[in-house]
Amino acid sequence: MKSSRRQATKPSGVVALQRAGGRGSPVPFLLPALLIVFAVLIFPILFSFVVSLFDWPLSAGGGERSFVGLGNYSELFRDPGFWNSLLLQLGFIFIAIPLELVLGLGAALLLNREFRGGRVIRALMLLPVFFLPVVSGMTWRFMLQPRYGALNNLLVNIGLPEITWLANAGTAYAAIIMQDIWRMWPFVFMLLYAGLAGIPTELLEAAEIDGANFSKRLFKIILPLLYPTILTALLLRIIDALRIFSEVYVMTEGGPGMATTLFSLYTHRIAFGHMKVGLSSAMAIFLLIISIVFAITLVRKNMSLEQLEERGGGQ
Amino acid sequence: MILTLSRRKKIITAAIAVFAFAILALELYPIFITLLNGFRRDIVILSGQDFNLKQLTLRSYEMVMANKGFIKALFNSMLVALLSTGVSVGVGSMAAYGISRFRFRGRNALAYSFLVFRMLPQMSLVVALYLMFRGIGIRDTIFGITLAHSSFNVPYVIWMLIPFFVAVDKAYEEAAMVDGCNRWMIFRLVFLPLAAPGLVVAAVFAFINSWNEFLYALILTGVNARTAPIAISSMIGGDTLTWGQMCAASTVMLTPVFIFTLAMQKFLIRGVSAGGVKG
Amino acid sequence: MKSKISVFLIVLLLAMSMTVFANGDKETAAPAADAAPAAAQPGPARTINVLLWDDPYPKALQAMLPEFTAATGITVNIEMLQPPQVLTKTAVAVTATSTDYDVVGIDEGNVPVFASLLEPFNNWPAGKFYPKTDPNSVTPKMYSIGTWNGVQLGIPINGNLYVWMTRKDLIENPQYKQQFKAKYGYDLGIPKTFQELLDMGTFFHTNGIASGFGPFNGGPAGVLSEAVFMWESFGTKFIDYVDGTFKVVLNEDRAVEGIEFYKKLMAISPAGAETMAHVERQAAFAADPKGVFSMFIWPAQIAAYENPDTSMVAGKIAYSAPPAGPRGQAAVTGAWALAIPSASKNKDAAAEFIYWWSSKSVADRLVQANTIPARTESLTNPAFTASKPQLPALAASMQVAASRPRFKEIGQVQDVVKNYWIKGITGAMPTRDAIRAIVKETNEILQKAGY
Repeated sequence: MKSSRRQATKPSGVVALQRAGGRGSPVPFLLPALLIVFAVLIFPILFSFVVSLFDWPLSAGGGERSFVGLGNYSELFRDPGFWNSLLLQLGFIFIAIPLELVLGLGAALLLNREFRGGRVIRALMLLPVFFLPVVSGMTWRFMLQPRYGALNNLLVNIGLPEITWLANAGTAYAAIIMQDIWRMWPFVFMLLYAGLAGIPTELLEAAEIDGANFSKRLFKIILPLLYPTILTALLLRIIDALRIFSEVYVMTEGGPGMATTLFSLYTHRIAFGHMKVGLSSAMAIFLLIISIVFAITLVRKNMSLEQLEERGGGQ
Repeated sequence: MILTLSRRKKIITAAIAVFAFAILALELYPIFITLLNGFRRDIVILSGQDFNLKQLTLRSYEMVMANKGFIKALFNSMLVALLSTGVSVGVGSMAAYGISRFRFRGRNALAYSFLVFRMLPQMSLVVALYLMFRGIGIRDTIFGITLAHSSFNVPYVIWMLIPFFVAVDKAYEEAAMVDGCNRWMIFRLVFLPLAAPGLVVAAVFAFINSWNEFLYALILTGVNARTAPIAISSMIGGDTLTWGQMCAASTVMLTPVFIFTLAMQKFLIRGVSAGGVKG
Repeated sequence: MKSKISVFLIVLLLAMSMTVFANGDKETAAPAADAAPAAAQPGPARTINVLLWDDPYPKALQAMLPEFTAATGITVNIEMLQPPQVLTKTAVAVTATSTDYDVVGIDEGNVPVFASLLEPFNNWPAGKFYPKTDPNSVTPKMYSIGTWNGVQLGIPINGNLYVWMTRKDLIENPQYKQQFKAKYGYDLGIPKTFQELLDMGTFFHTNGIASGFGPFNGGPAGVLSEAVFMWESFGTKFIDYVDGTFKVVLNEDRAVEGIEFYKKLMAISPAGAETMAHVERQAAFAADPKGVFSMFIWPAQIAAYENPDTSMVAGKIAYSAPPAGPRGQAAVTGAWALAIPSASKNKDAAAEFIYWWSSKSVADRLVQANTIPARTESLTNPAFTASKPQLPALAASMQVAASRPRFKEIGQVQDVVKNYWIKGITGAMPTRDAIRAIVKETNEILQKAGY
């Protein structure tokens, strides 16, 4: 254990840390988390992997399962519906999350000061995050209807034509993204606000008195200091957005056509509509592989823990 | 010079407050609709009538409150969310500390594998979980669903806490070390208090994740441990929708989380103003 | 050394997952042995678990449960979920070797999917307290929804099939009557044929009085039922069981006629008709004076349309069988059957519950509670039909009942039909191409499934 510990390269606190490291091992700290995650997350993943090698009709009892090796995977790659859902899912992530970040950051910067009612605003801002996803989906579906939907009433009132949001592929896709942004940007806001609150105000005030304008302060001080928090927000949002299901399901059921059939919705359809658990497990494993590649190449290179430390705690 | 600066600041702050309230109004509009519709009859909601005071009625709330299944589910939800939050914040903060303050081989790999495993849609894990839970006899129990919720909350909490832990100044540890603290004491006495805002944020979101979770609850619970999202979704129904009751029930569900956050926010501010954490 | 440990761990976990996986097969031998003694000695206090779809009908039954428990000593735990969730849950919780439920409600289309897991009706034990359900108590066309491969697997319990609703206040308005007669040469009324539906719908639509039609485009199962409705009415079946196998028997020209006609109906439908599901249809028909003039309804939902709390047109609806197409009349069925999983250890108690539910006295009371049991005599009982105008319409619809195709791969076929049907009726694709694509892809699915 000791031999495998890397030499710390940080200038500050290194000596003490190393001494401290000598007095303890990370295992007791990591073990409980590992136990829970192994029991309830990794076992099902391995199980899914095994299932993905079988032609496994969910409902047909034990006798009709047969080993097909990688057959499910090759079926998957030939399935245009699968690629469609993957593309929609990626589009969803790349459109929704940057917007959520921008909104969240903007609001965090704005509200990072004391004023009357500030606390209430910050708390109320979070309400959409607490909103039950199914109900949120339903409420949006309702608001987007022609004639009695609130959003269309608004459009009509300001002289624009009614839009049948959920009836056209493009607008329906926009609608589910809108719903997600509406519901989740306050989440980003809260994380960034907590991070921002950690930046000493003297630092900012000093810069302000020095005559640094806002953009200079933002890019030179705030963003670098906020980097670890932004990164976390980004990662947490991505893993949640990858799993989005119930709100989209009640809003559009994946329609019109396949226009909003995101990855999870397609998995659901394959598993519980077509009853092909083997195939849906193959989809899960495929996603897992993508995630691992993503984590190893992109995330690890640009956002490793060491870098986090340099940016965040090192100065 | 300084006077004008502070005056300018005041004006800016006032403008920002107004702006913030405007954004807030826009943002909360859908929730406002839900709140309002909980007090209106279904037909009024569906026909898109303009608001007037005569529409208000408590009937939906009466029906929701008389629905024993929903009340029981609400209680279950509360229990599961609290338990799972406790477990995942406890376990997750330990792991986050282990990851951010020890250097060992595979540290990055470990950290990111927590993340990667959480990326999988629950859809693909739930069948396996169901078989496993049935095998060991914890299907449809509070314990089982708490465990299931912890499985996705633990990685979440770990990743939420890492930046907070990383940001804790190492000088504090050195000082503690000099005073003869061991790792556990440092964790308890130095890290937990210093990263309090992070812990609060993590707790809030772990709570929400569990409170709103749908698919695991659907498959892994039955009559006994059913949680509120499942009970509400039956009000949405496949065929006929009881809008009023759905809105009333979701308002009922929204209230405790909101109170929870308000209470936590106070704590959050205190944690931040206590200083110690720097960017 | 570390890597060795992790390899070991992974192997261990794989082995564990394999064990669970293997268990599924190992247990196969066990249940038959378990079930027999359980049936032989029914204890005084028993509990059965029942999974049902969530609508007013099972809820009305739930209110009567205490009397069943008092009579038999059997406690019934009813779990109600939305229909798609019932399917999901059944698929997970009922296997050949174990089941969480002793009675499951199965949507008719899914009977083949679960066929191998269900106890055939003939093997259900005779009741101690209630007589075994008489197959003749249900209209034959409805009764057959519980059949698969010639084996009766479940008892149809609700009489759910297309019933037509027309706004009485619109068709009885003297001014509209006069205008309509002047233009079309016959009387405004309940549309009895497709042409009448189109005429009247167009009349109301072009005059800005109401929309002419309310399509049902919610979800794959819904779209398939609309497609089957049109095709049957234009004289062609979609898929049939010929020479011991399933074949696509769709006549292209007739199918194109059907979808073309539906396209015309779409043109007189409200905005957003492309994605109208039950929620939107209810809003359009029941909560909008300028909404829809005539459309089909699942009788299970009639209660919501006749309730002044949820409907502006309560008491103003005329019910009938669906209008007839040029070559046929069809009322698509969408009923639920009650079935007993073979793995259940309480088959006798489960059967007792179903016998009670399908008995005359319970069915009569369910009719009075505005729900629709499948039991024919309760639906046609003059004592009830007088006050419930939907009942004669229901009985008339049953005479022309038509089912959607049923086989295991129906989920995939639904997706194909939904995809191209919507493209066809919205003009995104020429209708003939849409029909051809449906036939081609359905054939591929059937072929792959080995039919």
